[in-house]
Amino acid sequence: MWELKEYRFAASAQEAVALMRQGPGTGAYIAGGTDMFLHPAECDFVVDINHAGLSDIARTPAGDLFLGAATTLHNIATNPLVADFAEGMLIEAAAHCGNRPVRSTATIGGNICNALPSADMAPVLLALDATCYIADADSQESLPLVDFFVGPRATVLEDRLLVGLALPAEAGTRRCASYKLTRSAEDISLVHVCVALGIEDGKIETARIALGAVAPVPMRAVLAEAQLVGQSVTEISPDLIADAAAIAAGECEPLDDHRASAEYRRDMVRVLTRRQILRALHDETTITKDSGGTVA
Amino acid sequence: MKIEMELNGRPVAHEIAPGGNLLSVLREIGQFSVKLGCETGDCGSCTVLLDGEPVNSCVVAAARAHGHQITTLEGLLGDPLMKELQHEMVVKGAVQCGYCSPGMLISLYAHFKASGDLSEHALREALTGNLCRCTGYVKQLEAAQTVADNRQNESGGAS
Amino acid sequence: MSDRKTRSAVGHNVDKVDAFKLARGEAVYTDDFTRTGMLTAKVLRSPHAHARIVKVDVSAAMALEGVIDVIWHTDVKAIAHTRAGQSYPEPSPYDTVIMPHKARFIGDRVAVVAAETTAIAERALKLIEVEYEVLPEICDMDEALTRTDVLVHEEADPLGIGGGGKSNMAAHIDKQIGDVDAALKTCDLVVERVYHLPRVQASHIEPHISIAWVDEDKRLIVRTSTQVPFHLRRILARILEMTESQIRVIKPRVGGGFGDKQELVVEDLVSVLALRTGRPVRLEFTREEEFIAARYRHPQRITMTTGVMKDGTMVANRMHVMADTGAYGSHALTVQGNTGQKVMPMYPAPNIHFLVDCVYTNNPISGAFRGYGAPQGCFALECHMDEVAAELGMDRLELRLKNHIKLGDTDPLSAKLGEGKEGLERVIRSTGLDEAIVKGCEAIGWGQEKKPSAPHLKRGVGMALAMQGSGIAGVDWGAATVKLNDDGSVNLAVGATDIGQGSDTVLAQFCAEELGIPTEKVLVLSSDTDLTPFDVGAYASSTTYVSGGAVVKAAVKVREQLAEVLGSHWECDPGDIVFADSKSTGPDGQTMTMAEVALFALYEAKIQPMATASHMSNESPPPFAAQFADVEVDPETGQVQVLKFVSAVDCGTVVHPRMAEGQIEGAVAQGLGYALFEEVLLDRSGKVLNPNFLDYKIASALDVPPLVTILVETDEPSGPHGAKAAGEVPSDGPAPAIVNAICDAVGVRNYRIPATPERVWRGIKEESPE
Ligand SMILES: Cc1cc2nc3c(=O)[nH]c(=O)nc-3n(C[C@H](O)[C@H](O)[C@H](O)COP(=O)(O)OP(=O)(O)OC[C@H]3O[C@@H](n4cnc5c(N)ncnc54)[C@H](O)[C@@H]3O)c2cc1C
Ligand code: FES
Ligand code: FES
Repeated sequence: MWELKEYRFAASAQEAVALMRQGPGTGAYIAGGTDMFLHPAECDFVVDINHAGLSDIARTPAGDLFLGAATTLHNIATNPLVADFAEGMLIEAAAHCGNRPVRSTATIGGNICNALPSADMAPVLLALDATCYIADADSQESLPLVDFFVGPRATVLEDRLLVGLALPAEAGTRRCASYKLTRSAEDISLVHVCVALGIEDGKIETARIALGAVAPVPMRAVLAEAQLVGQSVTEISPDLIADAAAIAAGECEPLDDHRASAEYRRDMVRVLTRRQILRALHDETTITKDSGGTVA
Repeated sequence: MKIEMELNGRPVAHEIAPGGNLLSVLREIGQFSVKLGCETGDCGSCTVLLDGEPVNSCVVAAARAHGHQITTLEGLLGDPLMKELQHEMVVKGAVQCGYCSPGMLISLYAHFKASGDLSEHALREALTGNLCRCTGYVKQLEAAQTVADNRQNESGGAS
Repeated sequence: MSDRKTRSAVGHNVDKVDAFKLARGEAVYTDDFTRTGMLTAKVLRSPHAHARIVKVDVSAAMALEGVIDVIWHTDVKAIAHTRAGQSYPEPSPYDTVIMPHKARFIGDRVAVVAAETTAIAERALKLIEVEYEVLPEICDMDEALTRTDVLVHEEADPLGIGGGGKSNMAAHIDKQIGDVDAALKTCDLVVERVYHLPRVQASHIEPHISIAWVDEDKRLIVRTSTQVPFHLRRILARILEMTESQIRVIKPRVGGGFGDKQELVVEDLVSVLALRTGRPVRLEFTREEEFIAARYRHPQRITMTTGVMKDGTMVANRMHVMADTGAYGSHALTVQGNTGQKVMPMYPAPNIHFLVDCVYTNNPISGAFRGYGAPQGCFALECHMDEVAAELGMDRLELRLKNHIKLGDTDPLSAKLGEGKEGLERVIRSTGLDEAIVKGCEAIGWGQEKKPSAPHLKRGVGMALAMQGSGIAGVDWGAATVKLNDDGSVNLAVGATDIGQGSDTVLAQFCAEELGIPTEKVLVLSSDTDLTPFDVGAYASSTTYVSGGAVVKAAVKVREQLAEVLGSHWECDPGDIVFADSKSTGPDGQTMTMAEVALFALYEAKIQPMATASHMSNESPPPFAAQFADVEVDPETGQVQVLKFVSAVDCGTVVHPRMAEGQIEGAVAQGLGYALFEEVLLDRSGKVLNPNFLDYKIASALDVPPLVTILVETDEPSGPHGAKAAGEVPSDGPAPAIVNAICDAVGVRNYRIPATPERVWRGIKEESPE
């Protein structure tokens, strides 16, 4: 049983930070609690942020998407404002996180802030260039999500509060594909690969390859991304794609654990990255023809 | 600390430990349909509705119920949809040891209330949070499918 | 005997007798109950795999407000026993005491706290100081077999410890029919392979839970989630130095057991604490404790050596089982015995050799789990049949058809391997195996070309045959009492233990059938050692066959009593009176409803129509199964998707079709997990790495493929209304059928399950290194 002295409710982000710093003793934020109840923080009190006005989903006229930190994964998975964003990659990730009742309370902020290498919203948000908004007592700061994670279960936050995430709309066309590899249907990721390609004038302008569960923190395979930039969508060769995938496999730093070996994870980064690039390019035929990749 | 919640439509005040989960509180106050199976949010035996959404009460803070509506199977025994689901589950043979049944019923109930998607895959998805070790989920899906068909027939007839 | 059409209850899908109350979430399980002043118990577990418990300082814990009692080994008399819930004398070593002096695995009992609340009990655990003398541990099976410098059990126990305090052998079996070595020399082909079976956990959703208290007559009452109430009472009486009359064990509704509750797991602790404190005490396992301190299916390594002639005739077959029983030997001999006994008879070669080395290690404890050794043996044998067929260049179905056991065959192996002693010879008097194979092949589309859903995927099919038993011949028995009430309803009291499988309903159907009344007129009580007659409990697939036999006998006796009463009233031959449709009809058309008969018997004849009957069978007729998998494999990732799974099962007369299907579907879901993802992982010192459902996956609704379940009816002459068992046999075939299908798809065999994506991937990689 979790030995907690006090459970506090915050009505706003500022109040949350204030309550957190008020003492006595140490505190922690709690949103859905789906992670907290499994790994109770050693603290005297918690600050509940579910009523702090952080549960909004909004779309700007320009198409940017804003997700409040306390938005539940179920809301993300079913919200029409999110449905078509990034070709559905975001709802796909949210809908495959945990199980249905967990998603009713699990929040996107909690998923990012627990900073597990396998956190499933992290790679998709990295691939979509998410910016985090962080609240201090009376100021707010924004930070690219790539800089948010500092190690397993560690972020830049300290006692500050994540208030939300902003995802920019892509200028041209964005093509996306992702895959979460698991042992059974509902499971923690063994490997999670998310690919987002910004396309302009038939060329890949920007490339994002984000990987989960294969490094101490969710990561981007920047060298592999660089391979793709500038390539023509119609003329890009399967070999180049395979090369990029192999580079991504070289970039990750997986560990051996009881879920999978590092060797397997690395090879799956290769296989799944290649497949997701092809899928993102809507080139399903190549996937099936080339060395036996699947539309996984 | 003391919380006040609306349990099955009635106000309930209860003294709780700040770090306690909703599951233990509900059992303490006699909601025995809410079962403990894992306390890690995986098995779904503790599924209840929080403001109408299915949640695993073992990974929800009891404090969080303060000011909210909690619905357990006990509160739905008179509900026509729930009765239909229960009936089909029994008749189809979906209840073996029955330990998972209340949780499954709550999940299916929430799904039927919320969603228009009554495809087999959607029904399986709706049950992902409810582990059953006795059955192969076949009979539960048959029961759910029957209820889905009944609804489609009804709405088909009405329009 | 009447057939389905003329039967009114047996063979029909009546409502399961307890289903409505379960679906309403009524308070019916062990924990849905409280008593004033109830304490919560929590166990302090050893962090060492092997360590002497030198001293436990409980003073700080006792000083904590709300802590009522703390016990460790100095507080409880050490009486050697086995926790296995088996008939007396148990064929399991007496290697256990309530509180051990030496911790033998990470998780072994060191001390137990009883406190006012769970939170206080947990706090108290942290305050207990333990002085350990850490000993070298032995966690590897092979090391345990050869080393004698480290002994898990050094006590020279006369009561059945295999190694007698000199080795780590927990059970050894060496039984031979014919001469396998000599016969192998005469064979055209000898195939030898090694198969590896994982440690898996039953994962019933209701954890182990018991509540004990001392009642106003100073009797100990134990309300517990168990499969074996009568065995429990006997074991408790022995280790608490009480008499059975001083103890009452009540089994309410149980949320699944699968063998894991055929064992005393927590009952002794709540009993000791209730007796010491005079307060009611409750102990519930956490899910983590289920994975650490309950029981597993024994992990095994099986070497199969098979000799065949060119035409496929099997001449010699050897199975060598190496098994890990962990720290204690519950079921060590009998589970491993079953691995051969239940499985090898499928192909009755003239020369058969079955060898077992089951060792103690400092790993957590193995025990009973659905199938009781047979799923391991069946995996090895049925994979091996495919391997032999491949080496022979023969069709794998053909090879099976040629060699499998047929109607009228005797099965000498089951005689050689009774429950730990020479058993009774078995003759196959009913089998639907051939029909099951034909129907199963048809349902899966055996022999038809199957295209994968995408060109880069590979598709394959696989099959497995399985047989089991129906109770333990000459050992298992049960009794039933039937009593008629004024309104024509009856009370049926059985010691048989409904743990969710639906035995209350099946037994009610038998009773209703014999009395000609609807099943809902039968009020079943199971099981309470004060109120119901004896039964060995729910295991070994015995309930329908053995306990069913007792119910039929008791109901027939009551029917005869009624016929007697009516015969003298109507002045006719009692034998001419028919009981059907809730009434009794005499030869001249006289009729009375069952309620009228009851009133007449009770108030005119002044007798209580009531009977108790016992039943034991010297036979254990095997149910059969033919199971088939159709799978798709992604060779690049190693992922396996089962597209369809077919089970064709002969369980004799089907008493309740839907419940039989439910048993089979549930067994397949468990077998799917065994095949593809279930495995309890230990580190080198026996610490469980995945003690939760987050990392020990059991099948969810999304994992189970479309299941086709075919019931092949036969009429077993020795069974009640022709019935055999259905609960265990379908859990044997899924793993080999799926692994055979994977091999058919990609040409690479998984000798080790679960066939996780990584293992399949690695197998393919090693086969075709780039
Ligand atoms: C059965 C089950 C299955 C799961 N499956 C998955 C899965 O498949 N994939 C996956 O990624 N995760 C999974 N999880 C983990 C977890 O549910 C998710 O990570 C979830 O999104 C966490 O959100 P939460 O709101 O519940 O977090 P909480 O438990 O409330 O908090 C998690 C951590 O983040 C901190 N925190 C929360 N919000 C903020 C904030 N706004 N600012 C600062 N700090 C904050 C908390 O202090 C805490 O340290 C699973 C969990 C369970 C119980
Ligand atoms: S007890 Fe809550 S999900 Fe298992
Ligand atoms: S019926 Fe037993 S767990 Fe589902």
